Amino acid sequence: MITRYRRHPELRLAAVEGEGVVLHLGTRRYFSVNDSGLTLLELLAAPHSLGDLVAVLAERYEVTADDARESVRAFVDGCLAARLLEIDGDA
Amino acid sequence: MTCTIGLTCDDARLFRALARWLDHTGLEPPGELTLDVHVADAAPHPDARPPFRQPSVVVRSGPPEGGVRLWWEVAPAFAELAPGAAVARVTLSPSAIQQLDLCTGSFLMTVLIFLLRRAGWHHVHAATAVDPAAGRGWLVAGDAAAGKSTTAALLATRGWGVGTDDLAFLTAGAEGRVTVAACRAPIALRAGGRRLLHLIGGTRRAERDKFTFWPEDLGGVWAPRVAPDVILFPSIGDGRTSAAALGRREALAELVRWSAWVVLEPELAQAHLDLLGALARQARAFRVILGRDLFDHPDRLAELVA
Repeated sequence: MITRYRRHPELRLAAVEGEGVVLHLGTRRYFSVNDSGLTLLELLAAPHSLGDLVAVLAERYEVTADDARESVRAFVDGCLAARLLEIDGDA
Repeated sequence: MTCTIGLTCDDARLFRALARWLDHTGLEPPGELTLDVHVADAAPHPDARPPFRQPSVVVRSGPPEGGVRLWWEVAPAFAELAPGAAVARVTLSPSAIQQLDLCTGSFLMTVLIFLLRRAGWHHVHAATAVDPAAGRGWLVAGDAAAGKSTTAALLATRGWGVGTDDLAFLTAGAEGRVTVAACRAPIALRAGGRRLLHLIGGTRRAERDKFTFWPEDLGGVWAPRVAPDVILFPSIGDGRTSAAALGRREALAELVRWSAWVVLEPELAQAHLDLLGALARQARAFRVILGRDLFDHPDRLAELVA
């Protein structure tokens, strides 16, 4: 079974010139995100798998699939640790 | 000046005092907002939500109940704003009323901040000013020790319009511009700032260990609304005054930092964040270190960010 991730419902985003700030209303913490991070978080308004995210990143930023996979994995792990993402289907 | 926030109160004397206070704020938000005040022995409602603590005020908000509850820690006083309601229901105990100046300045002002959010006015810890020559608006954001009040006072001495030294409200202005409405209150300076500005006089506020000055006392005017072209994030340093330009994302992150209430009330957070984002796009932002040279060359700050 493929794991899908989505944005935590208590997340709010603001974008400026392709970058942005993410606010978690539950933890009351905020984070800056670069353009690729913002792209991924915007996508994750709906559930997506790592493979979906890697494909988008590789296409949009013209990076190799390996580099995109590494970047996405690190981003998702960081977001899960900060509770910015949750696994779709988890209560 | 006239405040457009409605007031109801079951105590005639308290009504008059609160009406005077509201009137002096000069706040004219759109829509119908009401402060509904009762005198009684106040007790906080049981509320398991995590507290959000500000000096002397405890706020609980968000799910599952929604809305906001505020409790004053100095004397019994309680307020509640139901989700989506444009009314703040306030209970003040007799001992809170005995300290009404302190109560209005801290507790009731915090209640007003939440009430104003319901009119789309979102608070940021910032001073506001406008250059009378160029017409450029400034927003100076930071904490209590950042130098906001000293900067506001310095600009007032140069004939600038000053809106506030701390109580600024972001609003969606004309043509998509973010406009900042000011709560009218005197600029509050610590002894050090007053000395550096070579000021005498002012009104001593012993409870805050400060002296207060109206912009007009210093040669400026009150500017109730400012559309910022420049945002400063100051701190006080030992060297010369300097300014470093910030990128939009850094500016937005700083604005979020100085907008503590943005994390409260999920249904209002995105509108608040959107205004901060629009402001970060609208204005050029600088991290500024304020040096003592500024008091010998008071126009230096304006020159640095010109």
